[in-house]
Amino acid sequence: MSERERAPLLELDSLDAGYGDLRILTDIDMAVGDGEYVAIVGPNGAGKSTAMKSVFGLTTHMGGSVSFRGEPIHGAESSDIIDYGITYVPQSGNIFTSLTVRENLEMGVFMAEEFPEETIREVFDYFPILEERQQQRAGTMSGGQRQMLAMGAALMSDPDLLLLDEPSAGLAPDLVDDLFDRIDDVNDDGTAILMVEQNAKEALRRCDRGYVLVNGENAYDGPGRELLDDEEVRQRFLGG
Amino acid sequence: MALADFLVSLLTVVSVYTLFGLGLNIKYGFTGLVDFGHVLYFMTGAYVTVVVTLPVAATSYEGIGGFALPQLLSGVPLGGLLAWFVAIFVAMVVAALLSLLVGVPTLRLREDYLAITALGIATILHTVVNDERWLFNGPFGVRDVHQPLAEAFPVSLGSFLVNLAVFGLVSVLVLAYIGYRVGDYVYGVDLRAAAMAAAAAVLVVAGLGAAALGGALVLGGVLVAVAGVVVLARGIGRADGFGRPLALFTALVFVAWHFGTPFFTAGPSGVLASAVWLFDPTAGADGGFTYGRFVLLVAVSFVAVAYWWCERTVNSPYGRVLRSIREDEDVPEALGKRTFRYKVQSMMFGSALAAAAGGLWATHIAFIDPTQFIADITFFAFTAVIIGGAANNRGVVVGTAVFWTLHTGTRFLNDYFPTEYATQLAALRVMLIGVLLMVILYYRSEGLLGEQTYDTGVAAEEGGRSE
Amino acid sequence: MVETGLIDAVAQGLVTGSIIAAGALGLSLVYSIAEVPNFAHGDMLTVGAYLALALNNPSEIPFVPNAVALPFAVAAVGAVVVAGVFGGIYEKAVFARFRDKDADLITMVIVSLGLALFLQNLVLFLAGSANVTYDTVRRVNVNVDVYATGSGLGVELTQRAGADLATLDAWGYGWLAVVAVLAVAVAAGVAVYRWRSADTGYERVHFVSPRVLAVATTLAVAAGGAALTRGGTVATSNPAFSTRIGVSWKYGAILAVMLATMLCMNYVLKRTKTGRAMRATADDQSLARVRGVDIDRVQLVVWVLAAVLAAIAGVLLGWYASNLNPNMGFNLLLPVFAAVIVGGIDSPYGAALGGLLVGLSMDVGVYLLPAEFATYRTAIAFVILVAVLLVTPEGLWGDA
Repeated sequence: MSERERAPLLELDSLDAGYGDLRILTDIDMAVGDGEYVAIVGPNGAGKSTAMKSVFGLTTHMGGSVSFRGEPIHGAESSDIIDYGITYVPQSGNIFTSLTVRENLEMGVFMAEEFPEETIREVFDYFPILEERQQQRAGTMSGGQRQMLAMGAALMSDPDLLLLDEPSAGLAPDLVDDLFDRIDDVNDDGTAILMVEQNAKEALRRCDRGYVLVNGENAYDGPGRELLDDEEVRQRFLGG
Repeated sequence: MALADFLVSLLTVVSVYTLFGLGLNIKYGFTGLVDFGHVLYFMTGAYVTVVVTLPVAATSYEGIGGFALPQLLSGVPLGGLLAWFVAIFVAMVVAALLSLLVGVPTLRLREDYLAITALGIATILHTVVNDERWLFNGPFGVRDVHQPLAEAFPVSLGSFLVNLAVFGLVSVLVLAYIGYRVGDYVYGVDLRAAAMAAAAAVLVVAGLGAAALGGALVLGGVLVAVAGVVVLARGIGRADGFGRPLALFTALVFVAWHFGTPFFTAGPSGVLASAVWLFDPTAGADGGFTYGRFVLLVAVSFVAVAYWWCERTVNSPYGRVLRSIREDEDVPEALGKRTFRYKVQSMMFGSALAAAAGGLWATHIAFIDPTQFIADITFFAFTAVIIGGAANNRGVVVGTAVFWTLHTGTRFLNDYFPTEYATQLAALRVMLIGVLLMVILYYRSEGLLGEQTYDTGVAAEEGGRSE
Repeated sequence: MVETGLIDAVAQGLVTGSIIAAGALGLSLVYSIAEVPNFAHGDMLTVGAYLALALNNPSEIPFVPNAVALPFAVAAVGAVVVAGVFGGIYEKAVFARFRDKDADLITMVIVSLGLALFLQNLVLFLAGSANVTYDTVRRVNVNVDVYATGSGLGVELTQRAGADLATLDAWGYGWLAVVAVLAVAVAAGVAVYRWRSADTGYERVHFVSPRVLAVATTLAVAAGGAALTRGGTVATSNPAFSTRIGVSWKYGAILAVMLATMLCMNYVLKRTKTGRAMRATADDQSLARVRGVDIDRVQLVVWVLAAVLAAIAGVLLGWYASNLNPNMGFNLLLPVFAAVIVGGIDSPYGAALGGLLVGLSMDVGVYLLPAEFATYRTAIAFVILVAVLLVTPEGLWGDA
């Protein structure tokens, strides 16, 4: 079954958004299918993070729509969006440094009635170091470990869609590869991924589809490999 | 005491606290320094002024000094007055230096730490002054405060009629001028709102008047007065700005109080006495211009000079730096300004003004002791400044006047309750002040007048012009 | 002649410190989670103290109905509960509104000042300015007299009976026993510390920190050892050193309440969902919101807890001093702020420890200074505050 025949999980339709009076995004169209791995790349200031934040209700909505399984979600509270099945890993400030690893994971399912034993097993499978260091103060972990914790916490509620904002930022190159491998694992198990990445090459190489945003507008989109091979895209964003 | 005397005393206190507030406004309104210890410099000013002018072997005074400056300068014409001015100047310098000492360790701190340390230092120094008899006579305070030129008063110009004519004329002119300014301001008010303000004034006055008759009417009168306040609020809501109806209301209440009350208690002669308020018919053989009125004159001139000085400072590029420090200290720092220096100077300037206020206060009240300088004084000043509008020198004047009128005005209620409830009533007043502070910060944090506009061509970022 | 000395001052300081610690605990919660430097905190103490008075001894208060006169302990509990409700009112009526307006730090400071003026004068209005006390059992203090002689350590319990000093009990320890007990106690403490902080290569967070546990163990073993090795009377003549420690059963009660409060707070913060939400909010409020935390509910809990803790401190203070007046809380505001800032705003445990330190230095300081300086007790707390701020503007503890 081709991608086009599946109903989109997440759809951004002619979205205008920004912060306060400042408009960042103009007429953005984007879609993520069930279980798809979608990357958003583009130059600095293109509005990539803003697009992601718009999905999670953290921006000022100015036009168009954001819908999840057909339901409009662009005015919703963060807690409602989590209920829909979307979780978000911000680029920075994404863990509670004074809480333990375990407590951070517990915060990931803060609103749940019971603690999901199965899900935490899965998270520990993706990121074994988290199981090892459950009682460690999160603030004393290394950069790479923190990223894994942030992602683990977001995965605790078994989301249908995981939003990742520049997961490789500030990581040493060998750790970046490791991290992306794990993201692949998460996606292979059925979680849809929407990822903003500065590291366009890696992102486009691994994703199913990609969007290139320039100046707050759609520029290119298509299967990741195609974008990677596209001359224009290479010239402008991938350094040739 | 005749109503005019009461008015003079009230105006003097308002002037003193306006000066105190102008100093606070420099620190807090313009530079953003939350000095919860501001009363320390008020206390310093009062004590230094008094001790410098105190006779050497003052009775039952065991503190340092007196330094008897008036005696030293007795050979000089107007020596007593000159000594007093010198004493005030010395007090201002001492307070400025003290604030420098306090400021150096504390001004680098974050605002809340600065607030608590300033409060702490003021509290501790207050304890020192209160406990150490050898310093300023401890809890017994200082009497025999030198009052410059007191011997010359009351001033009489010869005969009762001449006094009445001259001082009376000046009094009426002052009243007329104020009436003209208020009338001019109120002129453009919405008629409906004006009517409601007038009705509110009538209700409040009638209500308070009925309450004054005592007995069961106390409760009824107070309710009527409260109804009047509600009508006023409604009227303000209708107008396109609340300044004019409020000013009209205030003016009408003042007229009713100042002229109406003596009419009912003393007849037409009472009204006349209120009109010629600068003239005290009972002072001396022919009546005259009393010392209290002289002090008022001096106080008002101090306020005028300080106001001019503050306005000049605030409207200059120096003032602009202060305001930029208040907004975000990193910005002027990045531009190369040594913000710490500016903050220290602002502290010293504001504290000097507070000291001058302290010296005036001591002269007015003629007896000082540590209980007059408790931390609450600073908090009242904050309230007054915020009511009028922080970062607005005119706001300080308005806010202080409003605050003290409410504060003193409600004191008359004391007469209608048994004396053992005096503390309770005072507490009730301060409770209302606390509530007022929270309410103003919530509904109109920029105060009655908002932040002032500046002449440097850079308008204020928030608040803006008042109507 | 045995006289009270340094150790007695230390004992007093620990009690004062416990009271300040209770206040500091509440203030640090509000400071770190609600981000309000709460200048009304002292007056919340006063309100708590007077609530207990209203329930316990209402005839002392003019404007309060003479409804009930409960035993002190019951009144205290009632007061703490009512104070908690007040805390909720402060939050809903005042602080939530300013938070919704995104008020800045200075505004919050002045708002809390307005609340302080209101609360202090509400108490003054209802209760007047007379000094009042709780209607509670009075017991005479017991003195623990310790003598260090050649043959060992002698302990006598004495108590004033009329004009004389009656000896209630006496016993002694040989020096060997003293050294042995101390050695065992310290060894036990070290062992516990080693055991709990097993070298894992990274920093673990425990329910009770290993250091605290170790100190507690040492004290417990020492006390146990002292009980076990109690010997007969030791001759107390010609002591090399002797000191008297005035002990009131109040001390024990206050310390016990303090410990219980700390343990409860520790449990709430570390083992409950709400506590975790509170810590998360203090850590990173926007991330907490992103994780679905109801910030408004957290703030409500914070203010209720703060008022409860302040009330506990206020009741203890009124009880310890056998005296209440409307200024009592405000007078403690400075030491409480000092404790929080010294202990680090973000750490309730640091704040509590700061409270103990401040209390100790206040009473020990007064003991060490000449007698005329007794009124500068509060000033000492303040001097510590300034000294700490000059050296480390962030406070000693940072994040615990």
